[in-house]
Amino acid sequence: MLIDDFLWRAALGAGLLAAACGPIGCFVLWRRLAYVGESVAHIGLLGAAVGLLIGINVVIGTAALAIVAALLMARAPDRAIPAGTYVGIIGHIGLALGFVVLATMETVRADLLGYLFGDVLALTATDLVAIAAVSLFVLAATALLWRPLLRAAAGGPIAAAEGKNGTLVQTAFLVLIALLVAFGLKVVGALLIVALLIIPPAAARPFARTPEAMAVLAALAGALAAPLGLVAAYWADAPAGPCIVLAAGAIFAFSAAAARIARVA
Amino acid sequence: MSEPLITAKHLSVRAGAMHILNDVSLAIHAREIVTLIGPNGSGKTTLLKALLGLTPCRGEIVRRAGLKIGYVPQQFAPDPSLPITVERFLRLFATPQESAAALGRVGANETRGRQMSALSGGELARVLLARAVAGHPGLLVLDEPLAGVDVVGEAAFYHMIAELRDELGCGILLVSHDLHVVMGKADRVICLNHHVCCEGDAHDVVRDPAFQELFGARGELALYPHHHDHAHTLSGEAIHVDR
Repeated sequence: MLIDDFLWRAALGAGLLAAACGPIGCFVLWRRLAYVGESVAHIGLLGAAVGLLIGINVVIGTAALAIVAALLMARAPDRAIPAGTYVGIIGHIGLALGFVVLATMETVRADLLGYLFGDVLALTATDLVAIAAVSLFVLAATALLWRPLLRAAAGGPIAAAEGKNGTLVQTAFLVLIALLVAFGLKVVGALLIVALLIIPPAAARPFARTPEAMAVLAALAGALAAPLGLVAAYWADAPAGPCIVLAAGAIFAFSAAAARIARVA
Repeated sequence: MSEPLITAKHLSVRAGAMHILNDVSLAIHAREIVTLIGPNGSGKTTLLKALLGLTPCRGEIVRRAGLKIGYVPQQFAPDPSLPITVERFLRLFATPQESAAALGRVGANETRGRQMSALSGGELARVLLARAVAGHPGLLVLDEPLAGVDVVGEAAFYHMIAELRDELGCGILLVSHDLHVVMGKADRVICLNHHVCCEGDAHDVVRDPAFQELFGARGELALYPHHHDHAHTLSGEAIHVDR
């Protein structure tokens, strides 16, 4: 067969994960939380390193630390140091420390790049099942929490002041992002996962008149970027994870150009 | 007088060594318009946030059981990256019937299908007010609801707030720096500068030395007699009405 099994696994895993990133990524965009997502992902790398070090599952380590980081960052003290800076400091310490810890382990030293940029072509059948299950879970949870999430995103201080900003829903939102970070580690790595959270929604924005349309289009854009990126990686013999992100970038550029032409015409 | 909607006793908020609020006490009753005035940085917004439970503070805040609050923040609009119509925005907080009625009440019916991010300052102010009153709140909290709105629309807007008070029977807490129009509509004025400088009927407050010290000669303009003989459309055109 011309196209091998590992390519199918990669396309399916990355496609499903990117599709799950789309709708939840819309909220990251609407609430301007891109930098929080980035720092959560960076700390996820530290979680992976700690997971390996103490011999538990890498994904569990990543998810655990990413969740803790997300919850801590939600409470960033906004005094003399702006919240964004505080979040950035914590995130980069996590990234640096995670990298140092990984490099001390002889057995993983060779795979370092995989943790940063993903190793989607190495997905096993078990990996694929886990990623598919988590992606479907995140999509279902996003649909279920849609109204309270949207109220918090659209209402901001209003929802909070009137007591309609459920803390439970906000926590769930951060946990969903942490899950995507953890299971996205093998797909696009700790450095690029946020790209799948923000690029497909940004590409969807010019063509959406409702929040729901934007979420669906973002999911489709993500799902399209995965096979496109893999095909490009296959032909150019380039790393797969970064190629998927580049494909998402190309879809965004195409969307932005089309929107501009539509405005002029 | 009946039990207040909300009572604050000895509120204090500190940032480091600085007192943002120092021993502030106040109460707001149903059917009462209380206007909070004070110079920039006097702690007005902090006091609102403390009352709404958005900022930690020392002291005691008592709300009447089951009190429903409608909040209009300063010039808030959803991020432009969020595509959402006015109608949909309101329906996130109230039923479709309540939303439609409230939009009609504030004279913003024609904004119904527009995107929130495309509204002008005056339209946004009305839409936010409609959203706040749609759920029939017991207490309406307005934080500089007209920041960035032209003077022409202001008087009509405050007139509408006074009418809404009568229709809903709610209490209103209004933060504003538009001294002249606001104080004409207020039942009670609280002048804040980290602590309550003076408080009472608008006419009394203007004569209070503490008020004159804070606002100086500008205070003299505060209570010019205001006769309103016409209304305005959203675009600012005058509609003459017979009185």
